Amino acid sequence: MKKRTGDPTEKKKFHKVRAPNKSVIPEYFYRESIDSRSKRAGMTRVLLGALKSSSASLPESFKISLLLVAIFTLPFFDKNPYHIDIMVTAGIFMLLASGLNVIVGFAGILNLGYAAFYAMGAYTYALVNLHLGVPFWAGLWVSGFVTALFGILLALPAFRLSGDYLAIVTLGFGEIVRITLNNLDRITGGPNGLLGIQHPALHFSSYQYQFGVRSEPYYFLVFSLVVIVVFFLKRLESSRLGRAWVAIREDELAASCMGVDLGWAKLSAFGIGGFIAGIAGCVFAAKQGTVSPDSFDFVVSVMILAMVVLGGLGNIWGALLGALMLSLLPEFLRGFDIYRMLFFGIAMILIMLLRPQGILGERRHKEEFHSQSSR
Amino acid sequence: MRQSTINKIVRCAAILSLIIVGCGQKNPSPIIKIGCSGPMTGDQAQLGIDSCRGVQLAIDHANEKGLGIAGYKLEALALDDQHNPAQAVNVAKKFISDRDVVAVVGHFNSSCTKPASAVYHESEMVQITAASTNPEISKQGFETFFRVAATDDVQGPRGANFASRKLGAKKIFVIDDKTTYGKGLADEFEKEARKLGIEVLGHEGITQGDKDFTSLLTKIKPFAPDLIYFGGIYPEGALLIRQARALGIQAIFMGGDGVAMPTFIEVATPEIAEGVYATMVGGDTKKLPSAQEFIRAYETKYGPVGQWSAYSYDAANIVISAIQKASKKDRKAILHAMREISGFHGVTGEIVFDKKGDNQNQFIGMFQVEKGHFVYLGPAE
Amino acid sequence: MHSSNVFLQQIANGITIGMIYALIALGYTLVYGILQLINFAHGEIFMVGAYLGLFVYTLSQTVSGNLAATPLTISIIVLAMIGTAALGVTIERFAYRPLRNSPRLAPLITAIGISFLLQNAVMLIFGPSDKNFPQIIKSQNYSWGNVAFTNLQILIALTSILLMVVLNAFIKNSKLGKAMRALADDPKAASLVGINPDQIISIAFLIGSGLAGAGGVMFGMYYNTINFHDGYLVGLKAFTAAVLGGIGNVPGAMLGGLLIGILESLGAGYLSSEWKNVFAFFILFLILLLRPSGLLGSRVVKKV
Repeated sequence: MKKRTGDPTEKKKFHKVRAPNKSVIPEYFYRESIDSRSKRAGMTRVLLGALKSSSASLPESFKISLLLVAIFTLPFFDKNPYHIDIMVTAGIFMLLASGLNVIVGFAGILNLGYAAFYAMGAYTYALVNLHLGVPFWAGLWVSGFVTALFGILLALPAFRLSGDYLAIVTLGFGEIVRITLNNLDRITGGPNGLLGIQHPALHFSSYQYQFGVRSEPYYFLVFSLVVIVVFFLKRLESSRLGRAWVAIREDELAASCMGVDLGWAKLSAFGIGGFIAGIAGCVFAAKQGTVSPDSFDFVVSVMILAMVVLGGLGNIWGALLGALMLSLLPEFLRGFDIYRMLFFGIAMILIMLLRPQGILGERRHKEEFHSQSSR
Repeated sequence: MRQSTINKIVRCAAILSLIIVGCGQKNPSPIIKIGCSGPMTGDQAQLGIDSCRGVQLAIDHANEKGLGIAGYKLEALALDDQHNPAQAVNVAKKFISDRDVVAVVGHFNSSCTKPASAVYHESEMVQITAASTNPEISKQGFETFFRVAATDDVQGPRGANFASRKLGAKKIFVIDDKTTYGKGLADEFEKEARKLGIEVLGHEGITQGDKDFTSLLTKIKPFAPDLIYFGGIYPEGALLIRQARALGIQAIFMGGDGVAMPTFIEVATPEIAEGVYATMVGGDTKKLPSAQEFIRAYETKYGPVGQWSAYSYDAANIVISAIQKASKKDRKAILHAMREISGFHGVTGEIVFDKKGDNQNQFIGMFQVEKGHFVYLGPAE
Repeated sequence: MHSSNVFLQQIANGITIGMIYALIALGYTLVYGILQLINFAHGEIFMVGAYLGLFVYTLSQTVSGNLAATPLTISIIVLAMIGTAALGVTIERFAYRPLRNSPRLAPLITAIGISFLLQNAVMLIFGPSDKNFPQIIKSQNYSWGNVAFTNLQILIALTSILLMVVLNAFIKNSKLGKAMRALADDPKAASLVGINPDQIISIAFLIGSGLAGAGGVMFGMYYNTINFHDGYLVGLKAFTAAVLGGIGNVPGAMLGGLLIGILESLGAGYLSSEWKNVFAFFILFLILLLRPSGLLGSRVVKKV
């Protein structure tokens, strides 16, 4: 599909839709030439643009600050290490749900094998750490990019396949990754997995703080990552790429007719979703000290999907909320452990029947789910 | 705006409830807990449940006799690790963060005990396993690790010896389930078999949870092995022998302790299981005079004694004696006391720990299925 | 000579499981042809069929321990089929029908939810460990040349073929069958002609689920252990079979099932049994990339 370049009418249209909040938006953020440059340069510009744009109105900033204070002071109020551990797990799932939200919620591509990306991030860090001695902080980047790469590879079939088939392909991919991890024992340790993965360590000139079994440092680490990711996603949501995703989600054919680069949009959705899963996996591996294929099976993929769906497809806060709720709920239902999966199943059915847009919903989705017109 | 209000309320509620639950500060309680972990749900649930029942029985007896530390009540805390290594690490962390837990009898599967041992080691808490037989765990050199069961670097070779000397097997095919335990055991068996001059026709892995092994067995059939050795647990073992016989494979079937249990015979059906050999850690517990009282007590409370119940009973009792010796509800003190135990007279026999924490008494028995029951043949040699 | 025997043996093994895949694949293809919905829960219906069979057997034993094997087996299969058919129709009525006009994501996610619901319900009722499925008909080994097979395998093959032949005749000749084909071809025109889509869709689910139930019972009899988790992998492979044959195409599903069974058996025997489950997925990817309409399916042109 040939792209139209430098159409002045188009630029104006984007300008109007942008929130009228006197934000300073660098012009190059909207230039058509994004697609004519290399993908990496384009990404950099999007990133820079995202970072430079100022945040939204004051009341919302206040709410967010309040939330941040609450999150980061929690360990000082609740000293129970087990609770902190649960929150760390919840935090990791918040990352995962946010990442999946990019693929399923923003771009509307159903991915049933997200646990494979999670696994990839975890095993990548495990392997580079055990064999090459790569420390955690570098490992984060390595895991992120390796997984993003795999995400992009998986996106390739996305070009040719429609929703249902693609869903099965992603499922198949998830299974293949798990089985591969199980079978290549010499590399991955097989069903027993890999042990002895290094915990992170912070270096301040001569002083070194080594993360250990204690959960508190992981708590701060994970939630810092969550904050960074959410910030980034919020900017991305209102960027051109974000809107391209919405267009694809609603109607692919119409979107491509309107000039949206399907390929770039899909690849970046999988790439970004993959990157986030990669860093989540890295944190998981570092925290546990061991990784095994059982932690990354289909049930996990569905659980993350359920978190996104529950909170509201496409809604960033929804993904966080869904992740928090589904991570904490089993703890409140202690003793009902075996009913947990049953509950997930019922919850998903009920949500789809009664409130498909999830708890928080998403503005554009709401219109779609409630409109009377059929396909 | 409606959306953000709901947002705020739900988030505040979630965080608040967490704080409320967390702020229930516990007063120092007069309870001492001994943790126990194994697969309590899933296909190997019977193994974990039986094992933790042994621990519970030991604690009941100790409380009756007033053992332990004066003023404290002993309690068992059983947690499920679902024979999943990552879950085992979570369980270990749960035990660590519970101030009342002073030691753990666990885990059950070697693939779980090994990763969990790192957590216990870091927190300097005693970990004693009744059933994990993989030698690599103790080779890590953790002073917190103790083991009652024998190890597979003894079980495997003795099985190979028996196969060669008593059964005259010359061509053997080895199968394992790729877990720490199964593969470890099969590897040890194969090493010794080769040393004895047996021709090892092949060594293949199957996936735990799989059902259909006909393709693999069809591949094996033309080799016409004298014996097929399986390192793994009973669900797959039973299916293997069923499908092997259906395909017309006549080879003798031998397994390790993962197969030496009644459920294996049940699933494989007594007719097909007839003649199967299996090594087991220890001899025929039922015949040991020291075990009779234990067996009576267990059967009264729970029913048939599980394969490992006696071993976890002993493990728990060793911990209790260490607690008594330390006379302090303190993990480090109890660890010291454990390390100083020179010998323990348990229902399964004498237990003496070496420097690595292994039991120096490594007795392996050979069993064979006869008329629907595993019958003790003698020590595996 | 030796190697050709092994080859034939692998094929014989593959055909047996292939028949079961074919039965399940039919359910996928019938539903997809009309609704363009991948019934994710279909594999679970197969699993429920196996458990129903076990349940009926256990019940029958309380009545009498000495029932004749063949009539007992037939009754178990029939009863399980009725049970799963009812289950399938119920699921369609309450979970899929309300979402018929929703965007594609909704019924797919609902289907996943139902899949979980069924799996866990069965696990909670019957327990998580493998359940022993009794050998109602005593297994007898036969051999043809050097290929070993059992009477059970023959039974499975015959039953499956019978069911598929009946289904094919039904679809080709009966009024309801024609209505199903019409609905699959063009829903609007079909309703213009007076076909009630709700009724026909229910029938599609009824037949598909019934067949899956039969497959479940035979699976149980063949492997003698069943587990609540069985539906997942078998369901995926059956779906691959349906796609291989051409989704929406009934003979295609049968062909696809057999092919997947044989390919899987050969792959596991000659390449590696560890990667057995991966073969099915690779085949799926290949088909979707190279010939999405499947072997017997017709090329569908996407109209804008």
